[in-house]
Amino acid sequence: MTGETPSSPQAAPARLHAAAPPRHRQATVADRLIANGSVVSIAVFFLVVCLLFSVGTDAFLTRPNLLNVLRQSAPLLIAAAAMTFVITTGGIDLSIGSVLALVSALSAALLQFGVPWPLVILLMLACGGLIGAIQGYFIAYEGIPAFIVTLAGLSIVRGTALLVTGGYSIPIDSGSPFVVIGRAWVFGVPLPALIAVTMLVIAFVVFNETRFGRYVTGIGANREAVRRAGVDVRITTLAVYVISGMAAALAGIILAGRLGSGSSNAGQGFELEVIAAVVLGGTSLFGGRGTIVGTILGALTVAVLANGLILAHMSPFLTPIVTGFIILVAIWLNFRLFRGSLRSR
Amino acid sequence: MTTTPPPRVRMTGISKRYGPITTLSDVSLTLAPGEVLGLVGDNGAGKSTLSKILSGAVIPDAGTIEIDGETVAFTSPADARARRVEMVYQDLALCDTVDVAGNLFLGREPRRRVAGLPLLDKPRMHGDARAMLDRLGIVIPDTRQKVETLSGGQRQSIAIGRAASFDPLVLIMDEPTAALAVAEVEAVLDLIRRVSAAGVGVILITHRLQDLFLVCDRIQVMYEGRNVAERRIEDTSIAEIVDLIVGHKFEARSAGHSREQTS
Repeated sequence: MTGETPSSPQAAPARLHAAAPPRHRQATVADRLIANGSVVSIAVFFLVVCLLFSVGTDAFLTRPNLLNVLRQSAPLLIAAAAMTFVITTGGIDLSIGSVLALVSALSAALLQFGVPWPLVILLMLACGGLIGAIQGYFIAYEGIPAFIVTLAGLSIVRGTALLVTGGYSIPIDSGSPFVVIGRAWVFGVPLPALIAVTMLVIAFVVFNETRFGRYVTGIGANREAVRRAGVDVRITTLAVYVISGMAAALAGIILAGRLGSGSSNAGQGFELEVIAAVVLGGTSLFGGRGTIVGTILGALTVAVLANGLILAHMSPFLTPIVTGFIILVAIWLNFRLFRGSLRSR
Repeated sequence: MTTTPPPRVRMTGISKRYGPITTLSDVSLTLAPGEVLGLVGDNGAGKSTLSKILSGAVIPDAGTIEIDGETVAFTSPADARARRVEMVYQDLALCDTVDVAGNLFLGREPRRRVAGLPLLDKPRMHGDARAMLDRLGIVIPDTRQKVETLSGGQRQSIAIGRAASFDPLVLIMDEPTAALAVAEVEAVLDLIRRVSAAGVGVILITHRLQDLFLVCDRIQVMYEGRNVAERRIEDTSIAEIVDLIVGHKFEARSAGHSREQTS
C-alpha cells in the first residue's frame, strides 16, 4: 500500500497507471467562445436578423434607418444596462415602466409650470433615484423579495402618474430646449443615441472594472461570502435599485423629449421588454452571471426586429411574437450547446 | 517547537448556554504557535460552538480568551479578524461565478487610478494571486478560471489560501477534508502542514480521524460540552480516540482496522 505514508509531492512515487496527456490545457479560442456561449449565441441571432432584413428590405441597411433604430432604442438600451446590474445581484425591477411614465408625465407638468428645464432634468433623475432607494431599502434592509417590492412599486408609481395627469397626456412646448434631448442631432448622430452609448460605456466599465461591479456579481453568486469578506452587501444591493430608478428616469426624459409630451400611459410593458433584452443577452435570472455586451446585443436585437418587420411591411404585432420565440430559442440554445458553461444554473 | 511562554491562545472556563441546554461547560483550550490541534467530538459535543467563540461569531456566557497572554473580548468576527484569528467555514464562502483571483481578493481588490477613477488592478491581482498560490503549493493552472470549474479540493485550498493570506496567528478550519477525493485530502493536509510550519496555530475540526494522525500535534476530545481528554498524537491511537469520543469502549468496525495499524 503506497497510500499509507503521508506522501509529499517531491517524493514522486512510482506510477501505478500508464501516463496520460495532461488534463488541463490552455484555453483555446473555441473554449473561450463556449465559456461566453450566451453572448456568442445572441451575437449570432443579432447578425442573422440584421442579414435577413438587409436582404429582405431595401430600407433597412441605410444610414438614416440604422440611426433611427438607435434613436428609438435609446431608452431600452439605457434601462437594460441598469437592469443587468439588478438581475446580476439576483434581483428584478418591475417598476421601471411606471417610473418612466411618472417621469415623463411629471417633467411635462413641471415644464408647463415654468420650471427651468435643467432643474426639471435634475429633479426627475433624483425622483427616479429616490423611488429606487425606497424599493432598495425594503429589498436590501428588510429582506422582502425584489419581485414583490417592485411589483408594489409598479402599481404605486403608475397610479401616481395617472393621478397627477388625470390620465391625459401633457404637451411639451416644442420650442423648449427639453425636447432637444429627444430630437437633436449632434455630429450627424441623434443625441439620444449618444447618451445611450455614453451610458453603456459607463455601465461596461463599472460592471467589469470596479469593485462595485465585482460585488454585484458576487452578491448574485454568494451573498453570504461577500458579506463575510467585509463588504456592505446591503448598501450595494440598494445602490443597484437606485441606478435602475435613475436609468428609468433618464429613459423617461428622453422619451418625453422625443415625443414632445408626457403621458402617464407611456412605457406599458417597458419593464418586460427590458428584462427580455437582458435575459436574451445571457444574464442569468438567478444572479451571479451578467454581461453588459450581451445586454446591448439583446436590446439591439429586439429593436432591429421591431424596425425590420415594419420595413418588411409585416404587421408590427408580429414583433412580440417573434421576440418571444427568439428568447425561447436563444435560452434553449444556451442550455443545449453551451451547457458546460452554464452548469447548475 | 520553540519555547512558548504565554501560549498563542488560551481559553479558560468557557461556558455557553442556549436556553435550557448547556452547550459548553467550563471548557478550556490552549494552542501554541505553529501547533496543529485536532478538535474532535460527536455532533453536539460543542466543538463548533467553541471554535465560533474563538472566531468571534458567538459570545460566551463566561470564561476568558487570551491571545499571546493578552485578554481579549470578541463581540464580532471583525474583532477576531483584527486580532488575526481567521476561520475557514465548512461552506467555504466562495463566489462560484467569480474567478480564482477574484475570490482570493474578495473585499480587498487592488485598485489603480485610471483617469482619476479607481478601477480594478487586474494584472496585479492575478500576479499576486499566482504568487500566493505558489507560496502555499496550491496547484491551480489558471487564476482566471471560475471557481465553479474547480474540484472540491481546489476550492478548499482557495478558501484556506484566502484565510492564510490575511497573515493570521490562528487559523480555524471546520471539516476541511470532508467529501474530498483521496489525492485532494493529501493536498489539503500538505497545505495545513505548510501553513503551520510558517508559525500559524491551526485548529482542525474533523470527523476524519485518520487525518488527525497525519497533521496534528495534539488532539482535544470534547463530550457533551466538556473537555474529556487531551492526548499528544504519539501517545494515542484511533481506537482510543474513538472510545473517548463516544464515551465508552466501542467496538466499531470502522475503528477495528485502524486498531491493527496504529497500535
